[in-house]
Amino acid sequence: MKAAPTLSTAFLHPAGQSLPEPLLALRKKRGSELVNMALPTRKTENWKYSSKYLKLTDDMAISLPVEGKGGNSLAVPGYKVAMRNGIMMPEASDYPDMEGITIERFEDLDDEAAAALAQRLDATLDLSDKKAVHLSAMNSARFEDGLLIRLKPDAVLDQPLFIIHEVSADASGSAYPRVYVDAGRNSKITLVEEFTSSGEDVPALVNTVTEFSLAEGANVTSIRLNLEGNSVQHVGATGVSQQRSSRFESHSVGFGGTLRRHDLQVRLEGEGAECKLNGVVVTQGKQHYDNHTCIQHIAPRCNSEETYRNIAADQSHAVFNGRIHIHQDAQKSNANMNNNNLLLHTGAEIDTKPELEIYADDVKCAHGATIGQLDKTSLFYLVSRGIGRRDANVLLTMAFINELVSQIPVEQVRDSVNARLNNFFDQAFQEV
Amino acid sequence: MLSIKNLHASVNGEEILKGINLEIKAGEVHAIMGPNGSGKSTLSQVLAGNETFEVTEGEVTLNGGNLLDLATEERAREGVFLAFQYPVEIPGVSNLQFLRTAVNAMRKHRGEDEMNAAEFMKLARDVSRQVDLDPDFLKRGVNEGFSGGEKKRNEIMQALLLQPKLAILDETDSGLDIDALQVVSNGVNALRAEDRAILMITHYQRLLNHIVPDYVHVLADGKIVKSGGRELALELEERGYGWLGIKDETATH
Repeated sequence: MKAAPTLSTAFLHPAGQSLPEPLLALRKKRGSELVNMALPTRKTENWKYSSKYLKLTDDMAISLPVEGKGGNSLAVPGYKVAMRNGIMMPEASDYPDMEGITIERFEDLDDEAAAALAQRLDATLDLSDKKAVHLSAMNSARFEDGLLIRLKPDAVLDQPLFIIHEVSADASGSAYPRVYVDAGRNSKITLVEEFTSSGEDVPALVNTVTEFSLAEGANVTSIRLNLEGNSVQHVGATGVSQQRSSRFESHSVGFGGTLRRHDLQVRLEGEGAECKLNGVVVTQGKQHYDNHTCIQHIAPRCNSEETYRNIAADQSHAVFNGRIHIHQDAQKSNANMNNNNLLLHTGAEIDTKPELEIYADDVKCAHGATIGQLDKTSLFYLVSRGIGRRDANVLLTMAFINELVSQIPVEQVRDSVNARLNNFFDQAFQEV
Repeated sequence: MLSIKNLHASVNGEEILKGINLEIKAGEVHAIMGPNGSGKSTLSQVLAGNETFEVTEGEVTLNGGNLLDLATEERAREGVFLAFQYPVEIPGVSNLQFLRTAVNAMRKHRGEDEMNAAEFMKLARDVSRQVDLDPDFLKRGVNEGFSGGEKKRNEIMQALLLQPKLAILDETDSGLDIDALQVVSNGVNALRAEDRAILMITHYQRLLNHIVPDYVHVLADGKIVKSGGRELALELEERGYGWLGIKDETATH
């Protein structure tokens, strides 16, 4: 039998040696674990539908230089941090100057803080599966910079903080943005991460990891917007650990590309913690988008509520894999997961897989998944009132996701999403 | 205004309409009655342009123009309006958004400026009161969670907003209690105008006590088998369809 191809050693040489020693050590450790690891294939359960879109060729291993054109990002008033190719850009950033909130670059941390951080990095992620390369572990082996956002107990950020992750490249290469949010007891923050590229045809691999640690009573809202150009391969993970009575809310909106993959892993570790995960995915052309979510109910009396909706047009391909794992001690868990899918054209494909694993006996757990097309009777009703075909299709498609878009708590993000949706509709319904 | 000649239509290969002939002039109100399965609703759906039905023969003109050549939305913009027997629920699209999009599509077709949200809101509130619907319903999803009566009132409200040339009312009386019937009838009577034709499709004649038609036609097995004035409806009420040689198990009173 032919051995499965392994990760090229070209990927094992991180650039940027200016990080503090403990972080360099972590990087090295993760790198050594990747040696001779198999690449994900269609037989790798987690990558069944996406491995064929993943191109880890040697040219992709090159670290993208931070120089080069940029400035394509959303003009954001208020707090923002600009990251280009995974490196923080101080001159393009506007920090909140508030008591109790610090934003630091990894490379500026002293050894003690760096050692503490190195202990905590990756803790929210499940890297136990060693059968194939874990892309998040690859980020840990390669990050060149990163952001550590710390909120002291009771600190409340008065307006959303935007992190603009921009990728810019003239030739193939990869970037490894890394963010760690340490939300202290009863602190509160809304973080918007926007992933963008300096053009439509940037030939890059973006491999990103963002982790949130929520102490008791912390309240974190994470908004994740994927707006990168079509040619960008994006592989991202968000890991969350939640202590007692904390609340995490996630709004993930993504437009497709040659490869889009996001893993969202939430660990409900303290009693009474709750999370709400909303997701909207829109794909067209030959685009791809794969969302994997995993909610671990570890402590008792935690609530999770998850709603993901996919819209696939043309010959595009969307994937949803939602897992809820209720551990033995997690009595009185309340978990609800819904995934609804809309196929706009006959060539489009959506694969959905809800997974429940329940080891406690006193829980409420429900899930549902649907796949459908626009309802012909509804379309007839709308056009019979003189409404044009395009508008009728747009009204019904928006109806499918409006509930989720309208819940995004930052107006500027909603506007940005709606503008992108209009572009999508222009193309998806140009022939109706 | 509306001229139907030898109209044949089928669904899934089964012929439902088998040669309908009907002339309706502006200002007239016509009622089509007939037992279940006679083709009444099919006729209304075909006129509105439901693509589920295939026209196999015949012609339909509206003010001299070929109606069958037009797409559904073009028919609507030319003034055809169908009040649905079963109005569709569309969660996620608000009534306000739906109605304003429709009204503005019509205005655009006529070369008029679109109405802004505030102007439209005022108009919609006024018209909703005319059919006794709480203006709060405008914020809800299209027909979402509406009672049968509310749905029918919403249909009539749409007709009042869109001011069609030809209003086709498909079983608008079904599922209405006596008060709702009165409200809906008042709405329909408000639609009566010299430059408008109304085609009512109904199973029972009680609606015709409230909206008095100029002509009554009996449809059976895909054809109009008898036409007359108002008195024909009363005769059907009294004698059923049997004396016309039509079987109808459901029309016993």
